Amino acid sequence: MRIKIEDLTRKFRVGSSEITAVSMVNLEVNEAEFIAIVGPSGSGKSTLLNLIGLNDQPTCGKIFIDDVDASLLGGGELRKIRLFRIGFVFQTFNLLPTLSALENVELPMFLAGKSQKEQREKAVRLLENVGLRDRLYHRPKELSIGEMQRVAIARALANDSEVIVADEPTGELDSKTAKEIIGLLYNINRNRKTTVIVATHDEKIVEIADMLYTIRDGKLKFEH
Amino acid sequence: MTITVAVVASTTRYMTVIEEMNIFFNGKIVVVARGVFIIQAFPIGGILPESVVDTLKDIDTVETVVPMLFNLNFKLENEEVQPFPFDVTIGIPTGNWSVLVGSTTLKNGSWPSAESDSRVVVGPSLAGQYNMTVGSTIEIEKHELEVSGIMETRSAFLSRSVIMPLKLAQETFRYPMQVNMVIVTPNEKADENELSDRIEKEISYVMALSDLERNELTEPILSQVETWNMGIKSVLFFLSMVLVTVVAVMNVSERRKDFATLVAIGASRGFIVRVVMTETFLIGLFGGLIGLAFGTIGALWLGSTYTGIPITLFFPGVFEVVPLSFMLEILVSTVTVSCIAGVIPSIAATRMNITEVLRAEY
Repeated sequence: MRIKIEDLTRKFRVGSSEITAVSMVNLEVNEAEFIAIVGPSGSGKSTLLNLIGLNDQPTCGKIFIDDVDASLLGGGELRKIRLFRIGFVFQTFNLLPTLSALENVELPMFLAGKSQKEQREKAVRLLENVGLRDRLYHRPKELSIGEMQRVAIARALANDSEVIVADEPTGELDSKTAKEIIGLLYNINRNRKTTVIVATHDEKIVEIADMLYTIRDGKLKFEH
Repeated sequence: MTITVAVVASTTRYMTVIEEMNIFFNGKIVVVARGVFIIQAFPIGGILPESVVDTLKDIDTVETVVPMLFNLNFKLENEEVQPFPFDVTIGIPTGNWSVLVGSTTLKNGSWPSAESDSRVVVGPSLAGQYNMTVGSTIEIEKHELEVSGIMETRSAFLSRSVIMPLKLAQETFRYPMQVNMVIVTPNEKADENELSDRIEKEISYVMALSDLERNELTEPILSQVETWNMGIKSVLFFLSMVLVTVVAVMNVSERRKDFATLVAIGASRGFIVRVVMTETFLIGLFGGLIGLAFGTIGALWLGSTYTGIPITLFFPGVFEVVPLSFMLEILVSTVTVSCIAGVIPSIAATRMNITEVLRAEY
């Protein structure tokens, strides 16, 4: 999947004032790239990722998905892209607390209408791949923070997403667990040819990324 | 829901008992003292001389005349007086039992055979409560009476009745040569309403009530109870709907992050609506079932408190107090009300802005 962003701007109204979270951003993401976006808190990283993940609408500017202008797509088509093509990994994992690790991973496949057998087999395989073979039936509160993030990554891959958008995936983790998660994302990128776009403070991710961008006051700058 | 079931079931039961009483003297004229208060066929107070029977027999369009002494609130030994409509004694001339009980049979024993008999027949509920069997002795108004039979009936009225020969009733309750109601059967040629008018004309101190007139007397009471029932149901269902809406809104608002996550990973608005509606459906279903259970216990408790009948005696007839059709009606209504109540929260869940919610929840 190719993503092209042109003059993307997102403004928020807070009380009587207007805040520009993302300002005139231009970006091109090609298949199987690993992109890191680095910036301080409040610089607009999460807003940009939500726009790329089609969770939010820009105030102006355009996002093209494989040369199709996303602003021309209806709610149903955007939902299908979120469901089948883009997997989102949240900083706080956002696992559903009442579901087990297995059920959390099955959820996107359930929403995609896959058979129960297929859901189960694939969810087990994905959780095994992220090292959670022994944690299938544990609920999120019974998992460590690192394990929860692994489940979230497995969920993002459930429908074979072409792009993983990860918003500070190591932000809540200790350095050892963070290293493991970075390794996991790296392997997914290299082995599955999945595009990975990560917003991070983590220097380790910066080191392995194909391209590094910095963001400050909503303005994106290409570093290398 | 508990309150709805308890109150509505109790009042409905009360109405059923009153309606049931109307079938006792179907097609007959009930003669009572002028001015007494009547509930369906049965007078509360009012006395007639037994000689009124002969006067009635003299009317050419009268087929049969059966006098009765109907007495409420009798006292079994060491028992408190209980209010209407339970625990009654009825004195009828021997051999005329069917005028009151119709085709009701006895499950044990026999009917008293002579006017001088000091034996009585009791209803199954009374017999169960006081462990009476054929041959048991009971004491009413300091008179020792022997139980000669136990009726086989599901009628709430007869179940709580003691039936005895008229003379014995007059003696027991100290109403010599007096009765308080007379059942008149018109002959084939007679018109029931014309005959009742004629009786009132010829005997100035009586009221003669045909089926139609008895219904007219009770109609306002039943319709008022019905109106109250509807009012109570409507108010309580409305309150239930408000409560379920509040619970569902709180539920959705507490799980905003979950719903936002679902949308972010590709759930459709329809899926979110189904999730919320399923939850409110389950709230309605389980709330309804729990309400039914507690409401039924409440209705039995009200019945027991009101009549003095031990609650355990109500258990075998629980579906008479709270009929299955009423249970079904309550359950369907509760689920429907809950589903309606789920509409607003489900719309709220689909309309939330994902980024704003996820931002706020970080």
